[in-house]
Amino acid sequence: MLKVLEINKMIEIQNLKKIYAGVTVVNIPQLSISKGEMVGLVGNNGAGKTTLFRLMLDLIRPDTGAVLSKQKNVAQNDQWKDYSASYLDEGFLIDYLTPEEYFYFIGGLYNQSKAHVDSLLVDYTDFFNGEILNRGKYIRDLSKGNQCKVGVVACMIQTPEILLLDEPFANIDPSTQIRLKNMLREVNQQRNTTTIVSSHDLNHVTDVCERILLMEKGVIIKDIQTDKNTLEELEEYFSVLN
Amino acid sequence: MTITFLQHQWKSFWRSKNTSKNIAIRIMMAVFILYFFINMLVLSFFLDDILKKSFPSANVISTFNSFLLYYFLVDLFNRFQLQELPTLSVKPYLNLPIRRNQIVNYLSFVSLGTLFNLAPFILTLPFLMKVVSRQQGSPAVAGMLTAILGLTVLNHFFSLWLKRKVNLNAWWMLGFLGTLAIIACLDYYFKIISISTFSANLFYLITQNPTYSLIVLTLGLAMFFINHAYLKTNLYLDELHAATEAKKSSTEIPFLSRFGNLGDLVANELKLIFRNKRPKSALIMSFLFMFYGFMFYRNPEFASGHSAPIFCGMFMTGIFIINYGQFLFSWQSAHFDGILAHKMDVRSFFRAKFLLFALFSSVAFLLTIPYVYFGVKILVTQFIMYLWNLGVNTLIVLYFANKNYKRIDLTKSSSFNWEGVGATQWLLSIPLLVSPFILYLPFMWLGYPQLGLGLIALTAVVFIVTREYWISKLVETFNKNKYKIAEGFRNK
Repeated sequence: MLKVLEINKMIEIQNLKKIYAGVTVVNIPQLSISKGEMVGLVGNNGAGKTTLFRLMLDLIRPDTGAVLSKQKNVAQNDQWKDYSASYLDEGFLIDYLTPEEYFYFIGGLYNQSKAHVDSLLVDYTDFFNGEILNRGKYIRDLSKGNQCKVGVVACMIQTPEILLLDEPFANIDPSTQIRLKNMLREVNQQRNTTTIVSSHDLNHVTDVCERILLMEKGVIIKDIQTDKNTLEELEEYFSVLN
Repeated sequence: MTITFLQHQWKSFWRSKNTSKNIAIRIMMAVFILYFFINMLVLSFFLDDILKKSFPSANVISTFNSFLLYYFLVDLFNRFQLQELPTLSVKPYLNLPIRRNQIVNYLSFVSLGTLFNLAPFILTLPFLMKVVSRQQGSPAVAGMLTAILGLTVLNHFFSLWLKRKVNLNAWWMLGFLGTLAIIACLDYYFKIISISTFSANLFYLITQNPTYSLIVLTLGLAMFFINHAYLKTNLYLDELHAATEAKKSSTEIPFLSRFGNLGDLVANELKLIFRNKRPKSALIMSFLFMFYGFMFYRNPEFASGHSAPIFCGMFMTGIFIINYGQFLFSWQSAHFDGILAHKMDVRSFFRAKFLLFALFSSVAFLLTIPYVYFGVKILVTQFIMYLWNLGVNTLIVLYFANKNYKRIDLTKSSSFNWEGVGATQWLLSIPLLVSPFILYLPFMWLGYPQLGLGLIALTAVVFIVTREYWISKLVETFNKNKYKIAEGFRNK
């Protein structure tokens, strides 16, 4: 029984700490996320959400502790890159490429042919809403919302087992927000993708995620399974702060 | 209000993370500028002697006068290339209750603070005081100065106006350069017009009757108002920046696809170079260096030895490696997080750099083959240095790339752009310049230059053959330094 649990553990965080100029921005003694979980990460600005994502992606070095992906420390080998996809900010996009070129490039990293990438992109026609493909623009000339669409779809075509998105709802229009939520649910159901999404929009996260992590000053102060009271509970927390 | 603007700009300059905090660079800049000024001062103090010696038959003042308009034509050309548009970002002010006039006035006013506006006075003032005031009195000097001021203002605002026009439509640039070329042709080749006579006559008139200088000044002021009006009517966000966007198309480079994943990485980097202003100008500079050989090889003394071909060969076939490589990884600073987080093997990342360098070096080597005209020996030396670039210089450049933490904005132009410059670039130049000579010079002094050359070739080949080992070493350091590099690149 224990063995099965071990295998199901996709991400495990042990004793993780990151300190900037004497201030602890992330401090997580223990956290584990199992296969197929949809996790929402909420917290006010400066709570440490993005830093946590960066630690998970081995973009910054933790002061203590480690992030394990399938029991392997992400800082010590690159295997996690084979099954993880992420979009944190525009720094993940190569902005002088056209969206098509970027998708082909990402596909190429997984040895997907152009034709294959094209066939995958067909599924996202609605999501793109005619604003991404064949527009004759470089990614740098797209609006922030459209850049976000490119980043999210680039994640999707990697068919990841783990998906990390930092504030994907922030810049996109309401229709796209709804489509994105459906998309996240779909990949979760069909491929059992483990997803971590951060957002300031409590409605969206409680709607789409079954587990909510609430961060404050680098610490996860609440770890709750979503039910019909979760939204209220969170709203209460955030209003008390004011 | 102007004061507030000035304060803001002052803060934006010193607080910008791109402003190099490196004192060494500031000192270097200051020394350069000081050196320029001292040169100019010396030149202007001895201008009368120089003119007398060069044109003994003519009157000094009329020679001086005949050169003035040429100076301003060259000045216009230089300004067009080098002068920066005032950088105050107007965006945060447009929505506030600040009148447009104030913003435009400020933009015009602050733009005046450039060396281009100081230079004409430094160059002419000592001469005017020394010679003109003695021979023709102070009203003549006042007239001359007014005229020079007028021309400076004219040039200044004309170049600003033109630059804004060019930003919107590149045809203006062709028109401008074409007009300058036509004027030059008409003057030099066809002798239809003579700028020197016109210049001499104009300033003669002004020394005789200084009030004429007011006409020139009026021209300058008129240009100021044209620029002012233009700015005022075009102070919209989308119009101040290049708005005419051509449709961008996706491109493939079939040749590279045979390298698989590696080829994709190189193709991306080629696109980086061709689609962004700063790397593109680094590339163009590299091609200009192809003419380096002409400067040296034409001199038989240089062409017969080995040192000059070693030097030229290294630069001509390797200038891209040096010029582009010195900012390596910084070029990709905007998407460095993506590089780290995606499924990209660090080894192939490095291999792609080698492939890229090899491509450009090979092209450069092929283009410099015609120098064989100066002797087969030169071609052989160039080939050896081409190998050296592939084997050794690429390694040096990549070694230092692991220690470079400075972000670069690709879209800014490269002239006087010190962004991304740090100690690494200075350090890097030492091994690049010195290393082949360390091998070569001892043998030359002993009288066996061929042996020295052979040793360079051998070393180069050894490094090419053992490349995989060095890549492993580079990957090791990269893995150690990547957090620091990424951290530096995130600092805008």
